[in-house]
Amino acid sequence: MSLGKLGYYNPEKPLENRITDIGPPHYEQFFPPVIKRNYGKWLYHEILEPGVLVHVSETGEKAYTVRVGGARLMSVQHIREICDIADKYCDGYVRWTTRNCVEFITDSEEKAKALKADLDSRKFPKGSYKFPVGGTGCSITNIVHTQGWIHCHTPATDASGIVKSVHDELFDYFKNMTLPAKLRISLACCLNMCGAVHCSDIAILGVHRKPPMIDDEVLAKICEIPLVVAACPLGAIRPAKTEDGRKTVRVNQERCMFCGNCYTMCAAMPLADSEGDGVAILAGGKISNRKSAPKFSKVIIPYIPNEPPRWPKVCETIRHIVEVYAKDARKYERLGEWAERIGWEKFFEKIGIPFTEKSLDDYRLAYDTYRTTTHFKYTEHVWEVAKAVGGV
Amino acid sequence: MSAEGEEKLWETKKYDEVRIYKDEEIWNYTDEELANYKCKHDTPLLDQLEEGPWPSFVSDIKQEALHRHKLPEDKLLIPADVCDDLLGQVELSYVEKETHWKHGGIVGVFGYGGGVIGRYSDQQEKFPGVAHFHTLRVNQPASKFYKTDYLRALCDIWEYRGSGLTNMHGSTGDTVLLGTFTEQLEPVFFDLTHDLGVDLGGSGSNLRTPSCCVGKARCEFACYDTQDICYELTMHYQDELHRPAFPYKFKFKFDGCPNCCVASIARSDMSYIGTWKDDIRIDQEAVRAYVAGELKPNAGAFGGRDWGKFDIQKEVIDLCPAGCMEWDGKELKVNNKECVRCMHCINVMPRALRIGTDTGCSILFGAKAPILEGAQMSMLTIPFIRVEKPYDAIKDIVDKVWDWWMEEGKNRERVGELIQRKGVQEFVTKVLGIPAIPQMAKEPRSNPYVFWSEDEVPGGWQRDINEFRKRHPR
Amino acid sequence: MASLDEIKKVIVDFATNTKKSKFYFKDMEKAVQKVIPDAKSREIKKAATALINEGTLVYFSTGSSTMYGLKGRGISLETEETGKAD
Repeated sequence: MSLGKLGYYNPEKPLENRITDIGPPHYEQFFPPVIKRNYGKWLYHEILEPGVLVHVSETGEKAYTVRVGGARLMSVQHIREICDIADKYCDGYVRWTTRNCVEFITDSEEKAKALKADLDSRKFPKGSYKFPVGGTGCSITNIVHTQGWIHCHTPATDASGIVKSVHDELFDYFKNMTLPAKLRISLACCLNMCGAVHCSDIAILGVHRKPPMIDDEVLAKICEIPLVVAACPLGAIRPAKTEDGRKTVRVNQERCMFCGNCYTMCAAMPLADSEGDGVAILAGGKISNRKSAPKFSKVIIPYIPNEPPRWPKVCETIRHIVEVYAKDARKYERLGEWAERIGWEKFFEKIGIPFTEKSLDDYRLAYDTYRTTTHFKYTEHVWEVAKAVGGV
Repeated sequence: MSAEGEEKLWETKKYDEVRIYKDEEIWNYTDEELANYKCKHDTPLLDQLEEGPWPSFVSDIKQEALHRHKLPEDKLLIPADVCDDLLGQVELSYVEKETHWKHGGIVGVFGYGGGVIGRYSDQQEKFPGVAHFHTLRVNQPASKFYKTDYLRALCDIWEYRGSGLTNMHGSTGDTVLLGTFTEQLEPVFFDLTHDLGVDLGGSGSNLRTPSCCVGKARCEFACYDTQDICYELTMHYQDELHRPAFPYKFKFKFDGCPNCCVASIARSDMSYIGTWKDDIRIDQEAVRAYVAGELKPNAGAFGGRDWGKFDIQKEVIDLCPAGCMEWDGKELKVNNKECVRCMHCINVMPRALRIGTDTGCSILFGAKAPILEGAQMSMLTIPFIRVEKPYDAIKDIVDKVWDWWMEEGKNRERVGELIQRKGVQEFVTKVLGIPAIPQMAKEPRSNPYVFWSEDEVPGGWQRDINEFRKRHPR
Repeated sequence: MASLDEIKKVIVDFATNTKKSKFYFKDMEKAVQKVIPDAKSREIKKAATALINEGTLVYFSTGSSTMYGLKGRGISLETEETGKAD
């Protein structure tokens, strides 16, 4: 590799020796030999124990996979340790899954067993596992998430910290396959959802609740007003003048949906706020077409305050939802399928969380979620309404 | 050095040919030093995230912090304490519950409109190591298989010219290099393209880095070659990936079967989901083995709990959404004409049932996260198409959709929103030039507000009021 | 049909005179098609890419969407925000 501050790059001639449009390296060169030999020839697979899979090919060959969970944020030292392990057991090959698990693939069961023992034995100095084996079958595998306070400019919450805390809370569910179906948890640190968490069994979503402040003194100097106006997806920002004649903008606060796009364009419009920000919990979504169609996650708790470093209320709430679901749902039933079968009113009753007006949709296309049948189940909610109208 | 003909550079290339650090420089600290490492800033809140069983990102960042401090000065081109300063700044966020990052818009590599996300600290005095903390998105190899030689080389570049911190991987699928200074963006890009043979991924109003499931590499359910088409379309549309001219982002995702492991149906503008059109293959012997309890249902996915004896009637036949299966105690029958290929029975009995052999994919359009009009899932548009090299038919469809979207789309309008605004009829019949079919809708529309066009009505719309009045006096 | 150079010229005129110092591809496309009605979006993109490679235009990305601008025109967020231009 190049050395020195500029390396191969010559700022005087930026186009000199510039290589562009080469795309990714070809995937095939990175396939372990057993994968290459059996490409497209797989017959079936089996989970031998949590985190360990075998895939059997029509050639008779077998590929053993050991899956480990972990933080998506990874140092190069951690990756090098993964490389050392892959060199020792897997001929120098390794892969990541869509949900950021690491998979080590070998061609023999003995190697897979030794590998698993090795992985389970590696810990950071303060005791957390480096490479916990699990995340297969009816378990809770890696929580996919966004950047949060580590790297994002519009987050309403952290990502890595809550995710670590929730994983600690649910560690047994990662290690064991005890749930009625797989359960997928995701986190996005604001409603722009870089992480597209909107179809997860349980989604943790950062929400702002205060419109941006406007730094009148510097706004015109550091931001371009037409761009700021154009940045608002809801057209809620207009050009304005301060009393002393400075150019600035004003926000129609009633229309603000707290997305932070204005702050992206203009650092003079910060919206983060320790009291305003927090997380919403959504539930019941899924991606797979298995049995029922893919579903969106629904807002079941509109707001929980941020409680760093370990977000106890979020952890406790999610653990409780998982436990009630695990106990009550039928085999093969995803969380959303269970909620639909028992009825969402029963879902709220069983989980024991209040249903608030915030769970009734008042955005566009809201009608889709109104109940337009007389089919319902009697829960305490019904009597609240009956009492309110003097009907009981 | 050029990339032409070097797509498979790493078949022969070795880490040792390009490495920056010696082995003794990489593992240059003891366990004891690591256990006693004192970060430059006090981080009592973050320290609590070192406890508990789940891998701690705080412990990992500290490991990199210590490692950097022990490297010789001339082996680091951005501050040695970038990791300490990151922890310091994040600790401050933990105290104040607010982020300290600002957006930085104009950074990038020359000639590309995407691939770099600019970021600056708003606490540069306190945390100079993260004054700039820009991210590079590096196009991941399909299905994220790696050779360790390649990964080690990437690690060296990123430790030398960046923070040494990554995301494996970003939400879209890229290998994400997290945090460097502006002056290092070009040198990193040159190293990546010259020595690693890898390019940046997409960001902004581009084609975003396409991604795919594990596919035929290690899954018996793959109905088409997800890696090959992912690679081929990524290469074919490099210009669209690097040089933004779209109204907004556009994503391709490739799922090999309806289990949808890369979530294409929820998060890609154009979702490719494998399917088949012949019969599910059945091994009756194996079905009986499942019923007899000799084989574990769902490949052992339920192994952690005693669910009682496997009941094929209750667990397969009754749960089939199409109700197209029968079990008479000896033989399993599938009425394949009624099957909707949901994968449930195949998932439950992978040794007995297999996907058909006449395979292709369904193409769906328009999924997106909630900004702006609310979240959308992709709409089934082309129920079955063959997925065969060189994918000309599929490229034709892509080009038609892009031409329309570039012409009609508003700034920051995803194709799914445009389809809603302009009407799905226009998209289907005019843009794609295909007939409308019942598979495209959950049910026919219930409102009667049909926008008839003039040429659909005999005699047209131009009528003579005087002629009318002859029949109908005022 | 208009040549690449003609399109480039119209783009530079637009980029110099428009009120916004940064604009979406779409805005640039409309401006070009006002002057050269038969200019196709792919040609306009080619011209814009050429201007980028010559260093006349620059990209501005918010991460989620991308804009174009004349180099040096308008407020450079980078310089303003960090106080150091690299």
